[in-house]
Amino acid sequence: MVTVEYDSVKKAYGETIAIEDIDLTVDDGEFAILLGPSGCGKTTTLRCLAGLTDPTSGTITLDGHDVTDIHPKNRNIAMVFQNFALYPHMSVRENIGYPLKVADVSAEERQQRVEEVAEMLEIPELLDRDIANLSGGQQQRVALGRAIIRRPAVFLMDEPLANLDAKLKVSMRSRIKVLQREMDITTLYVTHDQEEAMSLGDKLIIMDQGNIQQIGSPDTVYHQPANQFVAGFIGSPSMNFIEVSRDGERITAQNAPDAFDVSLSTDVADRYRDHDEFTLGVRPQYFTVHTSEAANAIEATVEVTEPQGDEQIIEVEIGEQPISLTLVAPSTVDANRGETVWLTLEDELVHGFDNTTGDRIGEADSVARTGQATSTTGSQT
Amino acid sequence: MTTKQDTSADVAPYTEPSGFQEIHERLTDLGVTKVAVYAALGVFLVWSLFPVYWMVTATLKTRDTLLSFPPQWIPLDAQFGNYAQLFAQRPEFVTFITNSVIVTVVTTIIATTVGAMAAYAFVSFDYPYNLDFHLPFYILSTRFMPPIVTIIPLFVIFRGVGLVNTLRGLILVYTMFNIPFAVWMMKGFFEEVPESLVESAMIDGHTHLGAFFKIVLPLVKPGLIASAIFTTIITWNELLFAVILAQSAKAITVPVGLASFVTKFSVQWINMSVAATIALVPVLLFAFIARQQLVRGFSMGAVGK
Repeated sequence: MVTVEYDSVKKAYGETIAIEDIDLTVDDGEFAILLGPSGCGKTTTLRCLAGLTDPTSGTITLDGHDVTDIHPKNRNIAMVFQNFALYPHMSVRENIGYPLKVADVSAEERQQRVEEVAEMLEIPELLDRDIANLSGGQQQRVALGRAIIRRPAVFLMDEPLANLDAKLKVSMRSRIKVLQREMDITTLYVTHDQEEAMSLGDKLIIMDQGNIQQIGSPDTVYHQPANQFVAGFIGSPSMNFIEVSRDGERITAQNAPDAFDVSLSTDVADRYRDHDEFTLGVRPQYFTVHTSEAANAIEATVEVTEPQGDEQIIEVEIGEQPISLTLVAPSTVDANRGETVWLTLEDELVHGFDNTTGDRIGEADSVARTGQATSTTGSQT
Repeated sequence: MTTKQDTSADVAPYTEPSGFQEIHERLTDLGVTKVAVYAALGVFLVWSLFPVYWMVTATLKTRDTLLSFPPQWIPLDAQFGNYAQLFAQRPEFVTFITNSVIVTVVTTIIATTVGAMAAYAFVSFDYPYNLDFHLPFYILSTRFMPPIVTIIPLFVIFRGVGLVNTLRGLILVYTMFNIPFAVWMMKGFFEEVPESLVESAMIDGHTHLGAFFKIVLPLVKPGLIASAIFTTIITWNELLFAVILAQSAKAITVPVGLASFVTKFSVQWINMSVAATIALVPVLLFAFIARQQLVRGFSMGAVGK
């Protein structure tokens, strides 16, 4: 049970920078998720903590003790690998008990703790099987068992669910969450799957290009993205970005000023008082689709519809040099390819991003917006 | 381990049928019957094993029956006394066998150990200038030239440092010749062991060396055994270097001893056959015992990436 701290950690392989400057604190018992696209440095960040990769500079501390140059075996951490890394020449029992065997724990105690862990993971019947004869889900549980048996100070997981099929993923996900809560172990978990990250983590650490883009709760990163990258990365389908010009309360799309011309409410427009041009970010859910003409609406042509059950994803185009937008609408909306629809904005819920820095504009309004956004998504799902 | 397995139904991995069935089906399609296949295999078997049979039966014949025509296919009057006669006439042959055993065992142990450790280093560490990629090739390239080229310089050097006519000298030469093969053989096996296993072992409490001995070596056991068999066979049978570098009885090995039955005036066929048959036994025994370990190692379960 410890607090993990990264202080200006950098890792470079020659000219290639894997992580540039990581400052991060994970509190005691917290479930932190490192989330980002492939190659963003999330696994390197995790491996630096495990001791499997030596940082080029910076320090990592566990409860104030500098562990940067300490061998992995002396860090009291456990790790679950993407490919499970089970020892193929040992049985399930030997695999789970192996960390205790290396630590010279007596055979009886080892036996007893292996049984306990197996019970916890509901695999007691597998204990005497060979690793080669296990399915993916079973191997995954054995890997978890081997990690928790030592009751480590920190628990590391590197995409542990990536090799499982969708259904198994969901059930293993909840199992991991329950396990982490019960054992109350500080956990760092790497994934590129935002759904997994949102459902598991207390704290999300969004990374891109070797740097942390935002740290926050799942709600915060969804509703108050720090910048355009986070806004586009979190949420499915992705947020729509439109470069707009502002004139008072009216905003027009730069590529299609005639088609995209809407008035914002006064307080929303006031957020962007210092920006005449910015990038507007609208989640697909925050457009309302009308099949007849509406006031203050954008006229659009339907390109594709993808039914999803109770809702549908609609791709539309607006303007002469078409701007493509993705919308999510209830499946009751009758929109077909080639037809015209009218879109209104839930302007309280849109974001504006600075064209040069990519940062979100209008920090001050975030609280009011989050309150409303949460209730809106709540009623939709 | 089995990252590419189909987990959609979460069932144990599917095992491919062995290739034999496919070969069998294809032969059947071509109209080749079982009888024809076995006949062909039988001819091949006789072709391979007849010289060995002839050598072993020769040990039980007299000089007359051995060279008689038509040949005596089966020794009717077995002369077991031939074995006693060899050691009576050539008592130093016991020393030759002892020398061979010492040289072979020591060479095999050193070459396999050094080869395995070198191969592991090349596979798991990064060296500057991409040396982990280039060096194994340079090591293998030491075997490109015909061995005879090195004999004269080696002899001169060995005479200078007092290694001629010593077992140490032979062991040194054989180790040098076997390590490149051991490195290349073991390299392939180590490459099959996922890096995450070593990392996992280190997190579980091992040092890197501990992980190598406890986790990696057991997994590459088939490779170790294969390269040990290979080294043993090469060393046990080596004649060229032994004949030049070991000329006194204290360092002569079995192959040189065998060659000594061919003299200017006669060829001692019976003694030579007896000695060769005795020389065959240790390698054969070792190969048989090791082979069982080999099969057990391979069937232990796939080491996937």
